[in-house]
Amino acid sequence: MTTVNPNAGRLRRRKRLQKWFANSGWYVILISFALITVIPFLWTALMSVRPNSASVFRPARPPEIIPYPGLIGWGYGQREAQAEGEYTALPWDSSLPEGTQHGWWRNYTNTFAEVFQNVGLAQFSFPATTVNYYRVWTDVNLPAYFFNSFVVAISVVLLQLFTCSLAAYPLAKMRFRGRDAIFYLILSTLIFPEQLTLIPSFIISVNVLGLGNTLQGLIIPFGANAFGIFLLRQTYQSIPDELIEAARIDGASEMGIWWRILLPLIRPGLATLAIFSFIGSWNSFLWPLLMIRQENLYTLPLGLAFLEGAFTGNLRTVAAGIIVATVPIIIVFLMFQRQFVRGLSGAVKG
Amino acid sequence: MVSTPYPGSPDPLAAEAIAQGKRRRERRRTLTAYGFLLPSFVFFFIFLIIPLITVVYLSFTNYNIVTAPQWVGMDNYTRLFQDPLFWRGLRNSFIYLVVTPILITLSIALAIVVNRKLRGIFVFRTIYYIPAVTSVVAVGMIFEIVFAEPSGLINGVLLALGWIERPLNFLTHPDSTLISVMLVTIWRGIGFYMVIFLAALQAVPEELYEAAAIDGANRFQQHLYITVPGIRPAIIFVAIISSISALKVFEEIFVMTDGSAGVLDSALTLMFYLYRQGFVNLNAGYAAAIAVIFTIVTLGFSIANLRFLERGSRDNR
Repeated sequence: MTTVNPNAGRLRRRKRLQKWFANSGWYVILISFALITVIPFLWTALMSVRPNSASVFRPARPPEIIPYPGLIGWGYGQREAQAEGEYTALPWDSSLPEGTQHGWWRNYTNTFAEVFQNVGLAQFSFPATTVNYYRVWTDVNLPAYFFNSFVVAISVVLLQLFTCSLAAYPLAKMRFRGRDAIFYLILSTLIFPEQLTLIPSFIISVNVLGLGNTLQGLIIPFGANAFGIFLLRQTYQSIPDELIEAARIDGASEMGIWWRILLPLIRPGLATLAIFSFIGSWNSFLWPLLMIRQENLYTLPLGLAFLEGAFTGNLRTVAAGIIVATVPIIIVFLMFQRQFVRGLSGAVKG
Repeated sequence: MVSTPYPGSPDPLAAEAIAQGKRRRERRRTLTAYGFLLPSFVFFFIFLIIPLITVVYLSFTNYNIVTAPQWVGMDNYTRLFQDPLFWRGLRNSFIYLVVTPILITLSIALAIVVNRKLRGIFVFRTIYYIPAVTSVVAVGMIFEIVFAEPSGLINGVLLALGWIERPLNFLTHPDSTLISVMLVTIWRGIGFYMVIFLAALQAVPEELYEAAAIDGANRFQQHLYITVPGIRPAIIFVAIISSISALKVFEEIFVMTDGSAGVLDSALTLMFYLYRQGFVNLNAGYAAAIAVIFTIVTLGFSIANLRFLERGSRDNR
């Protein structure tokens, strides 16, 4: 027995190794495509932490692609930190101009440059900095854009959840005259590109309803969603009729059934719709571009698009803005990806 | 005559009363149903049905959004057909359609790869989907930085390797701007369509592949004769939605050309022209005519897609 066991272990290990080799071709494909997907993001991130100087690629020298902490901090006083190597401005610091925000900056360049020199990576490394992030956060009104985008996206989600979950219920679970006709009418609106109605919608929103230059103007036109109705109708259909019948016999009103029994049951569908409409609203550009004129009402994509105007030629700060605007939505996606993928597949199968 | 609810019921009057009650209940149920539909209907009415009618009317008028529209008959359409920029927009929108077959091929291939049961495959699926949730604006700007001259990612690497002498003009040459933007659309779309095809692939029964393998079909043949017909509904769906979004492309171009439609309007698409006429030059009537033509083109294309791909599936059976 004692001789068999190590053999078995070796065999198993070899088998695993063989499997790995058999699959390695697939992993090469997977990894190279993942690189194609990720590298543009990484490149942007790399640009966003570079100090405002020299390019990554230098003639006859290796590219600088490994960042190490350089000028790190937040607030007023980067220049002093850069000059003195280390600088911590405190609220009572008399060298601060009157009324400026105090900050905290330290220049780690020398400390870490030495470390990288010792490892032999000095050629590839460069001092990373948070200057671009601080600048983009203060010089343009990025917090306001964030706030606006968030308010608009959350409002659109709540409104659509309300209207779509109401409308999908009778279409899935009640029998009444004209039901199928209405359903197919709603579905057929998906065929029309929204650009067809762009001009009249704009005129109605601005000239008739007075929604021009308001955040409401970015919310109300998206109050109903044909795709959402379609999606939730499918979710309702998975609920057994007996449940609703039983509630009706118990004397519950349709409104009560909807609110107390059905809504909790269709939560997965609601989550899918919520994330779809959140991302759709968060990323929408053309409509806000038309509706919003005032800078303090910009949503994030608008602010981003005009960032280049604010920092002409300074791609590093623009890159920092892109990263700040993109990371939250990626985090939201990673948190809810299961609902997301399920919703997409469900919509296709239906 | 109303049918008796209980076949054995001897009393016709009772039956009539029951039927009446039933009708009343039915009416109330219909009312309730429409009550549930009302909130959505209000939004659809204001922001979809009225605009649909209005846009057709506006396309026959001269309208600058501020003063009242003036009826001009077919004027906008005749002007449109003599407008070289309109034809360029139409041509560029059709050129943009090239992304559709590329996207379908690449995303089916990728879906087949990520459908394999490999360790860590979920991580890859998630990574591939990230561009789809990133806003078009952010993606466009990321690629402006990637395409930058001379120190962007691609030009920088190629110059450093000495493969090129002068930086490639991705976004600063009339011939290449549209192609560069198309590359970005493909990059952003693959993951999204991959998920759709993945869902369709998982519904294809595995036994079919085993049977084909026994019959001596190689892997490529298996995919050609089993996968492609098996996921045909998904292919039709993707063909339609991706060609619609290719025809209506605007945001990518707006962002990557800084709102200019490229050097000498070289990347002007139909949607971009609509935006420019309607909201920059304030020719809303003219823009409405573009919108109508655009919709006819889009609908025609969707129907053609449907016909073509459906016929293919009938032939196979």
